[in-house]
Amino acid sequence: MINARSTPRRLTLTVIALVAIIMVFSGKLIDIQVVHAAEYNEQSLGKRSVAVKTYGARGAIVDTNGVPLASSVDRFDITASPKNVKDVKRKGGTTDTVQELIAQLAEATGEDAATITASLAKNPDSDFAFVSKLATLEVRGKVRELKIPWIYDQVHPSRTYPQGAVAGNLVGFIGTDGPQAGLEYSYDTCLAPTDGTSTYEKSKDGVRLPGSTVTTTEPIDGGELRLTIDSDFQWYVQEQLAAQAQVVGADWGTATVVRVSDGHIMALADYPSVDPNNVGGVPNTALGSLAFSTPYEPGSTFKPMTVAMLIDQGKVDIGTQMVVPGRIYFPDNHYIKDVWAHGDLNMTVAGVLMNSSNTGISLLSDNLTKQQRYDYLRKFGIATRTGAFPGESAGSLRPIEQWDRVTNYNIAFGQGVSATSAQIASVYQTLGNNGVRMPLTLIEGCTHPDGTVTDLPATEGTRVVSEHAADQTVLALETIVTKSALTKLITIPGYRIAAKSGTAEVAEGGQYTNDRIVSLAGLVPADNPEYAVVVTLGKPDILKSSVAAAPTFKNIVTQIIKTFRIEPSTTVTPDIPVAW
Amino acid sequence: MSAAYAYATPRTTMPDSRPRHIEIVTSRAQRRSRPRSFYAIIAVTSVFTLLLAQLMLSIVLSDGAYQISALQNEQKQLARTEQALNEDLELLASPQSLATRAESLGMVLGTNAPVFLRLSDGVVTGAPTPAAGTAGAIGAGGSLVANALLTDPVVDLTADPADSAVGGAPSGPTANASVPSNGSGQLPSPQTR
Repeated sequence: MINARSTPRRLTLTVIALVAIIMVFSGKLIDIQVVHAAEYNEQSLGKRSVAVKTYGARGAIVDTNGVPLASSVDRFDITASPKNVKDVKRKGGTTDTVQELIAQLAEATGEDAATITASLAKNPDSDFAFVSKLATLEVRGKVRELKIPWIYDQVHPSRTYPQGAVAGNLVGFIGTDGPQAGLEYSYDTCLAPTDGTSTYEKSKDGVRLPGSTVTTTEPIDGGELRLTIDSDFQWYVQEQLAAQAQVVGADWGTATVVRVSDGHIMALADYPSVDPNNVGGVPNTALGSLAFSTPYEPGSTFKPMTVAMLIDQGKVDIGTQMVVPGRIYFPDNHYIKDVWAHGDLNMTVAGVLMNSSNTGISLLSDNLTKQQRYDYLRKFGIATRTGAFPGESAGSLRPIEQWDRVTNYNIAFGQGVSATSAQIASVYQTLGNNGVRMPLTLIEGCTHPDGTVTDLPATEGTRVVSEHAADQTVLALETIVTKSALTKLITIPGYRIAAKSGTAEVAEGGQYTNDRIVSLAGLVPADNPEYAVVVTLGKPDILKSSVAAAPTFKNIVTQIIKTFRIEPSTTVTPDIPVAW
Repeated sequence: MSAAYAYATPRTTMPDSRPRHIEIVTSRAQRRSRPRSFYAIIAVTSVFTLLLAQLMLSIVLSDGAYQISALQNEQKQLARTEQALNEDLELLASPQSLATRAESLGMVLGTNAPVFLRLSDGVVTGAPTPAAGTAGAIGAGGSLVANALLTDPVVDLTADPADSAVGGAPSGPTANASVPSNGSGQLPSPQTR
């Protein structure tokens, strides 16, 4: 029979016990959820969730055909944990001592065993020491096969230049702090990637918990920079320039090929030139591009500009006859003279160019005012940066107030004024493009990963001289190829070529020395120019005239004809009178 | 005899006097209100099935996470291998490498202006001249345009194939009957019509 009295007691006791348990649990719950909530949250998230910086890849630099000149690659740093360095027991009972393991590492990475030992011993309590930096995937594979528990590897994005010194002067290179020179430096905004972040929660063994990845921002790769350079052609030009520079003992040299229709630079070679894979292999002066950075007094390659100016102003045409003296004297007994001694000669304007007569061109320049000549020179791009390359020089052209009588004439034949090889190339591009100057450019565009193209080159040209003036000047320049002393060296059968030689004196310490800077500039095909070529050799030891540059010029023009498929000229150079 | 009254005589107790098994028989109303065991079985089985399914799903999900991780790893490795191979390819395609190898094979650069064949009418423009045998673009010292990444020496393709079989040291011209060669240092040329 149910005991009526003990039931309420048991019930009460049960309820009390239950309440007590609930109180304990709630108390603990409140403690965790309310009192220590933030602290525990943070701890747990920190232990489980990982914020990862995701890297984009630096954009590649490619040539006009898409061949990579600079590309981003993964390299690996092999690291060790010095405090965990000890012998390793292998299966089968053998033990590899630390010495043996270091020897194996040395063999796999190509590092010196002594160097590895030293770097491990430097800080024995640390958890991190480098064994080998920037190892390739192959080396990392070999190191992993060794299965040494205290060896790790981490990714180190790096830059490689598969074509070496080809366009190395233009591409530039990357140092430890980022791009140091060249287009890597000036177009860094195009090439540099944007890093992203993503957070995910991981389990104890490092596997991402499904559904826990939150990508805060996506990484964006850098854009691909496309150059106007043709890399195979650039290699040929560099090779020819280097070979000839060594044969004549030149201190430096440049060779530029520009497409006249749009100002695109097809090749720009410097000697000496840097290999971005081995920046330390050349002296510091060779780390940039001499064609852009080093101005010099150009010499006779300036003369066609004077003739073009005059024809543009209607003062002469190339058949105009004149008497050219051997020397022009100034009141203070200074004089200017030609390279060869002569009396009064009956030359036409074309003949002045063919013979490269300093006195002739000086007399011609008297037909224009100083201001007119200065303005034309500035329009041709003299004393203005081309804007195609970082760290370039503008050269120098004195304001007309500073033109004394000698300088006034000197400037007509390219002394007393300085210009870079790039500026000279731009002059001949203008002459070849019917008198319209297109800005020189090395870049075709920057293609971003989303498809947008930026940094497109300018397509607007400036008219410098009339089409008639430019065409007549080029016609006159053909006489250098057909009638001058250089004829045998630069004639290419079947093609009309225009050229102008230049042998400039070098001023050092206010005095002109015995050194020369020799150039040969030209256009091919002369009847309808497509490419302008300028070859310059600085201070050759033997052959101190433009003869030194002639073989290189001819080889480069031949290569242009082959590479860019220039058909033979259908007409022959007309017989232009050079004397009367 | 006298027709005596038949009296019902009381039954004497049975020899085995075990208590009889008594069953409570349920009434109809009670029977109707009892829940069917069929439904109970369904309910319990479903609960168990759901729990099992949840467990399986959780297992598969975790397994999937590991698989994803492994595949992503594999993809990364393969992408790296592809990149490394591309690097090698670009290096071999560099002009210095190609030109050096071509000239070591004996190829020469045509330094004369090219001759054009117009396909529309077969007209040849230009004067064909054979290239000079010594017209190489690269001198004896190798290409003057450096490339520090080209570390392996160019394969010496001018050696007679028989020499490398013997000892690897390229020696002078040796006539070897097994490999038809025209002169030393030249690749065997096929007979073409």
